[in-house]
Amino acid sequence: MISRKLQLIIAALVAAILAMGFYLVHLKHKAESIAVGPATQQLVAPVNGPPAQMTLFVASDDDYSIRPISITSALPSDPGERGRASLHALILRYLAKDSPHPLGPGADVHDVYLLDPASAVVNLNGEFANAHRSGIEVEQLSIFSLVLTLKAQLPQLNRVRFLVDGKTRDTLAGHLDISDWMDIALVSAAAKDLK
Amino acid sequence: MPKAHSNFARVTTLLLLLLAAAFAVEPRKITVYAAQANYQVDILVRNGVDYVGLTDLLEPLGRIESRSDGKKLKLTFNGVETVFEANSRQLRARGTPTLDLSANFLLIDGRGFVPVASIPQLLPRLANQPADFHAAARRLFVGPIQLHYSAELRHSPSRLVLTFSAPVNPAVVIEKGRVHLSFHREPLVGSGADNVSYGDPFLASTSFTETPAGAEFTATVLQPATVALADAGRTLTISPPAPTPPAPAPSPSAQSPNASSPNAAPRPPAPPRPRPFVILDAAHGGDDTGAVLSPTLLEKTVNLALARRLQKELEARGIPTVLTRTADNPLTWDQRAIAANTSHASLYVALHASTSGHGVRIYTSMLALQPGQSKRSFLPWEQAQSPFLQQSSLAAAALAAQSTEDGLPVRTSSVPLRPLNNVTLAAVAVEVTPPGDSPDELAAPEFQQKIAVSLAAAIATLRGRLEEAP
Repeated sequence: MISRKLQLIIAALVAAILAMGFYLVHLKHKAESIAVGPATQQLVAPVNGPPAQMTLFVASDDDYSIRPISITSALPSDPGERGRASLHALILRYLAKDSPHPLGPGADVHDVYLLDPASAVVNLNGEFANAHRSGIEVEQLSIFSLVLTLKAQLPQLNRVRFLVDGKTRDTLAGHLDISDWMDIALVSAAAKDLK
Repeated sequence: MPKAHSNFARVTTLLLLLLAAAFAVEPRKITVYAAQANYQVDILVRNGVDYVGLTDLLEPLGRIESRSDGKKLKLTFNGVETVFEANSRQLRARGTPTLDLSANFLLIDGRGFVPVASIPQLLPRLANQPADFHAAARRLFVGPIQLHYSAELRHSPSRLVLTFSAPVNPAVVIEKGRVHLSFHREPLVGSGADNVSYGDPFLASTSFTETPAGAEFTATVLQPATVALADAGRTLTISPPAPTPPAPAPSPSAQSPNASSPNAAPRPPAPPRPRPFVILDAAHGGDDTGAVLSPTLLEKTVNLALARRLQKELEARGIPTVLTRTADNPLTWDQRAIAANTSHASLYVALHASTSGHGVRIYTSMLALQPGQSKRSFLPWEQAQSPFLQQSSLAAAALAAQSTEDGLPVRTSSVPLRPLNNVTLAAVAVEVTPPGDSPDELAAPEFQQKIAVSLAAAIATLRGRLEEAP
């Protein structure tokens, strides 16, 4: 027979365990909301410039599509900065909690260099490539959406190539060849199959 | 100080020697001859014992399925289940006595490894076929596949007649005083007496050796010699050249392509080897694992299993097929492209697997069609596929149509994907994804069989069409 006193102690301990459990769940949600904070903020690239309409080509894993959307964002006058701002905005969308095409945490674009009005070099950061999911389709969606978004801001572009942390790389994540220049006309034609 | 210098020099030399030895060691392999296929399996050395991967060994021989819980491996081969326990020598199978392996069974990352020395006892249990392992040459014969020969010295004129139990097509090298026959594909084994002395004015002696690369027969001759194949490749005669009649010189095309000496006499052409129609390329391999589909499933493994299954389906339809790799070995993109371009096949199919999405994706190279370009045009390596894009699109369309007919969701697209750009024949890449939510479904025999049947049916419709395409 368990004494009345012992019963009260056990009940108090169970109540304490339950309370601590609820508090733990609360802390977990709070931590998650902090972690995804930047991605859930307004899609504004950290650059200066007057607000303007920007077209992003957003990939979706659900239906294997790349669709244009318009957002309002600060648009720098420098073409390279404008290209970087557009890609940064696109990547933020991919990092959001409800991302249609998730990327690894910390993915971003360092710079966009214009060698001439028709040739751009996009320097991605290591997190973009190293934490990218591996597969032909997922890699194709990422790279094609970056290329089409860049072309939307810089219509005179004809070709793009990618670096990762300033270095050439054979593939994005084991499949898509990013070692050479990409002809934007061919990317646009291939992307039509995705819609 | 001089002593210290001497010790330093000794240690440095020793380290350099060890380093050189480490680089010089190539992974050893077992060559397997079976009715289904000839293939090689990598040897893994653990605690001084040679092991082979169970899946590598059995996959080409039949339907295999394995499940591991980290301590046990349940292997179902052709419907019969066998249980292997990690770090145990005992092997249990339903309705059969326990078998003791020569060393512990190894379970590494969900893959089972058995000692090489136990293969002759193990294979009859698992595959229900006799197995004969020639340890020195690391040649394994599965089933009654061995090919035998007999040698007979005949006179007037002196000549050595070799009679084989099945047609052969050896590589022939004739040099001063020796005739070498190399049997790289045939499961040829010795006839008992490997070294024979004849003491004949034409033929001094013969020797037979087995190596991991195949079998070698050498005849030491005292006069110039010629080699002739007859009886559809079952009889090979080494003889002095016949007195030359005053006749026109034989055309170079009459020479056997296998004879590598200008002294080699023309002999009847060997039975033609069927030209492959398809070359299948299981993507990734070795250290390049491809995508990590699940904690226990790698893309390279799924790709190879699917390639083997597809090869069986194609060959069942009478479509000669070759694989770029038959084991878990690495290949560069250039090696894959060169293998395809020198295979004389009409279609290259790269096989990939992914967990993203559902269905089958079919890709062609993302190159521009160049008007006026012919297949004989001199092109940069990165654009070699360009003249073959139309054929590749034809192949992709056929594969997509069949997948749709078979109820598999399918998408086609062009993509920058190596080595498609470097292949000089119709070339497509196929990426398969699991039908449900579990990545492990990619390794399910039923799913792989469904994909293989669908792809094989589509490829069968391309025979004749690819050659006719402009």
